[in-house]
Formats: sequence, C-alpha cells, structure tokens
Amino acid sequence: MAEVTDGEFTAFVNERGPALLRVAYALAGNQHAAEDLLQNALAKAYARWPRIRGDAEPYVKRILYHDQISGWRRRSRRLEVPVAELPERAAVGDSGDDSDLRLLLRAALRSLPPRQRAVLTLRYLEDLSVEQTAALLGCRAGTVASQSAKALARLRKLVPGLDELTSRAEVTR
Amino acid sequence: MSRALDATLRAAVHDLADGVRPAPDLAAGALGRGRRLRRRRRVTAAGAALLAVVAVTLPFVLLRPGPAAPPATPTPTPTATPSPTMLAAPGANWTAKPLVLPGDWVVTRAQAAGGSGNGFLLDRKRGRYLTTDRYDGIYPAPTGSLVAVTDEARPRDVGLIDLSSGKTRWYEVGRALAGLQWSPDGRRLLFTTRQLDHFGFIVLKTDGTKRTFLVDQGRWFCTDICNFTWSRDGREVLLPQTGGTGHNEAVRDPRAGVRFFSPDDGRQLRLVPIPGDPAGPWAWSPDGKFVVVQGQQEPLLVETGTGKVVNPLPAADVAWVSADRLLYRRPNGSRDFVLADPTGRELVRQPLPKQLVDLELTVAPR
Repeated sequence: MAEVTDGEFTAFVNERGPALLRVAYALAGNQHAAEDLLQNALAKAYARWPRIRGDAEPYVKRILYHDQISGWRRRSRRLEVPVAELPERAAVGDSGDDSDLRLLLRAALRSLPPRQRAVLTLRYLEDLSVEQTAALLGCRAGTVASQSAKALARLRKLVPGLDELTSRAEVTR
Repeated sequence: MSRALDATLRAAVHDLADGVRPAPDLAAGALGRGRRLRRRRRVTAAGAALLAVVAVTLPFVLLRPGPAAPPATPTPTPTATPSPTMLAAPGANWTAKPLVLPGDWVVTRAQAAGGSGNGFLLDRKRGRYLTTDRYDGIYPAPTGSLVAVTDEARPRDVGLIDLSSGKTRWYEVGRALAGLQWSPDGRRLLFTTRQLDHFGFIVLKTDGTKRTFLVDQGRWFCTDICNFTWSRDGREVLLPQTGGTGHNEAVRDPRAGVRFFSPDDGRQLRLVPIPGDPAGPWAWSPDGKFVVVQGQQEPLLVETGTGKVVNPLPAADVAWVSADRLLYRRPNGSRDFVLADPTGRELVRQPLPKQLVDLELTVAPR
C-alpha cells in the first residue's frame, strides 16, 4: 500500500512539480522560499494522499496560496519578500524597450506584499477570473479588484515608465 | 486597465515565474518531509491502536481514547532546591491519567508541529488522554471541556468540540486567520485576521457570537510577527509594535512596545514599552509586574512598568505558574519540562514520555 502511495505521489510530483514550483516561485519571490513552500504543501498532500489522490493538484495549490498569505502555517512568516534594493525607477521615455520594462516590473513584483502578489499570480499566471481568484483566496471579488488596484498603483510608483510604455503601445496599436 | 498594460503585467508575472530553477530532488524532498509527517502520526497513534475497539463505543466520532489505565504510581512532589530535582519519567501507560507537570499544571494537548492533525488530547472529565488523527489544529481551552479544532479544508471555520457531550459545532470566523488563542478563562477565542486588505483581531465567544475589530497598521506599526495575544486576566488583547525604522528579514525588528486593545469594543488602550513579544496570557506574572517575552535576540524577563530587562531566560514560551515560578519546556532538551525561578535557575525537571518528545505541547492549570 505504501509503495503504491509512494509511486503515485512520486509520479504526480515528477509530472506536476515543475508547474507547481513556478507558481510557488511567483508567490514566494525566491528559489529557497519557493521550494520550502512547495515541499511543505506536497508533504501535506502526501500525508493525506489516500483522501486527495484524485484531486491532488488543486489541493496543493490551495495549500500553497493559503500558506503564503494566511499565516496558519507558521507565525514567523514575514509580511513581505525581501529585495536587496528597490528596483531602479525607469526614466520616462527612456528607451521604450519592453525587455527593460519587464525586468523592472519583475523586480517590482517581488517587492509587493504576498497578498497582492498572490492575486496577480492567480490572475495572470493561472489565468483565473476575478471570481475564481476570490473563491480560491476565500475573499470577495471586490477585494480581489481592490488588491489588484493597489498592486498596480504600487507598480506604477516603482516603475513610472509603465504607463508611458503602455500608453505608447495603445496609441500605436 | 488597458489591454497593453494587462499584457505587460501578464508577461512580467510569467517572467517572474520563469525565473525559477529546476529542483531535481523535489519528489524525494517532499517524500521525506511527508514521511516524517506520517511517522509522527504513527508514533502518536501507536498507543491508541490498543484500544481501537473500545474507541468505537465512545460517543466521539472523531476522537479515540488512549491506552488502558496503568497501575497507580505516586507522583513525586516537586520541591525547590538549589540543584534541580529530577522526577521520574511517566510510565508506558501515561495516557490513562493527566500528565501533571511541576507547578501542578497538566499537558492538555500534544500534536506534531505544523499541524499534521495527530496527537493527544486531555479529556479532563474522564481524566485520560484521547488521540485524534483528524484535525490540522487542536486547541483545548485552558479550563473546561471545550476544544477548538481547525481543518485546512475549511480555512474560514473553527470547530468547537465539547468533550463532555461529544458534540461539535462549526463556526465561520473569517478569512486569513492566524494565531488562534483561548482566553485564560476558556470563554473566548482570539484570532488574528490578515484579510487581503484588512488587519485586526476577531473575538469568538463559545456560543458562536463574534466581533471583528480592524486595526490600522499604518497608525500602529507592526512590520514583523504580528499576532494578537491575551493579557493574563483576559480583559485585554495586545499586539507587538515595531518602531518603523526599517524591516530586515535577517533579524527580528526592534520592538517599540506592546499595544493593548479592548476585546469588547476594539478600542486602543495604551502602549507599554516592552521590548519583545509575550507568547500568551501565561507569559505574564500573576500580579502583572513582569512578563517573559521573545526579545530581538533572546527570551527576556521584563519589568512591565518600565520595560526594563531584568534578565535573559532560556525560553520565551513560558507559563508563570505562581508568583515566582516559571514552567517551560527545556530548550535543547525538549524531552524535559522544568520549573524554574525567574532568573532561569532550574528547580525541578520532569522528563516527558517518549511519545511526546517530538510533539508540540500545550499546558494549562490543573
């Protein structure tokens, strides 16, 4: 029985682990925290495998998101992911280069509070609707919208070139 | 949001996720961690297996009684002496009666850290331990027969099991809950809530009525570990405050003090300049003059009136069991509980049953 469980679980992790690790990385913001977050979620899945084996991926994702934002898992989880320095602000109309902007945005995303990053991860990495995001995080759709707005406001503050570039893109479309 | 901005954000989030490096030993690591969780379950469940048949006759659907009663053995009377008095380890059948610690407190719950759902639970009415393998969190009230339980499958709720009747009632508390803690009289539960755009505390009475109080973190700054806890008399709740001088992940942020709030109406009451975090109501001395906190570097005994550090201590998670006695689990030797004086001098040492050594314990007045 244990061999069956171990075999099924290992096959699941081998197949879905890389995708789950991407999600964990987007949530945690760094490699070590992402692996820790995911391994903890997977360990819980293993301990409950007979009950969740047919529905393991949603279970693991639910644990990932709740562990990251709720604080049930450990009291010492800090509020924000550390970044060595705030991302440098892009000069307005500097280069207009998408890759520069995305580089800055990626750094800025790391500096968002976990809840805001979780909302953006669900919306843009997992392509969930506002309603689906709200259901998974256990909050109202309006809260998802307000968190998205706050995240965007913070990103705009950190990366002023964001609006410049996107406005240009709109005009030239 | 414009389509271009939407697309740029989407690309950036994907870029961020793409920054992950492969973790080749993910399955092995998760298996190892998962097996450790299971091993803890087996250890805690081993004693219960003996009486599995008896269990089904009890009114508790989800809780099982522990092993049969042991022959009665007198518990040594703890006495304060200059060198610690070593008490005998409990016998193999320790689950058949309350495990009394020095200072006349008892172990009320033992569970694998991290909430694997397995553990022992003291049934005060019957004077014995039950085992459970169902819940992710088990929180017995410090007095009475109620036990709060949590289940990761229903993160908004808390269940209240009445061990005397076997009935369980579930209550929706809220979202993003943390730091569940009983009031010292066992009549109210305190939760820290970290909803997406709200921070504060929730007080749930045992009849299911609850009140939520939001706290403005911009005004009352807490950049680090921010859980509300009860005061010793259960009339106030408190939140550690940081100075707002910057946040460093490598160390605990310096504390400006603890801020007291009313659990009845959420009013902010006062700030006391205590340089650390009390673990809970029992960390305060009975007369309220001293408190044990986790300081920035180490556990500290602090004078509450002035915030002055009296001396360091080996542990922050202590129970102040009398005017001058502290009970805590011995760090770097978690097999033992010790009764110590406020300077940290050990007076009595009580070894734990080996089934409890790797578990997280809750203690309460006998």
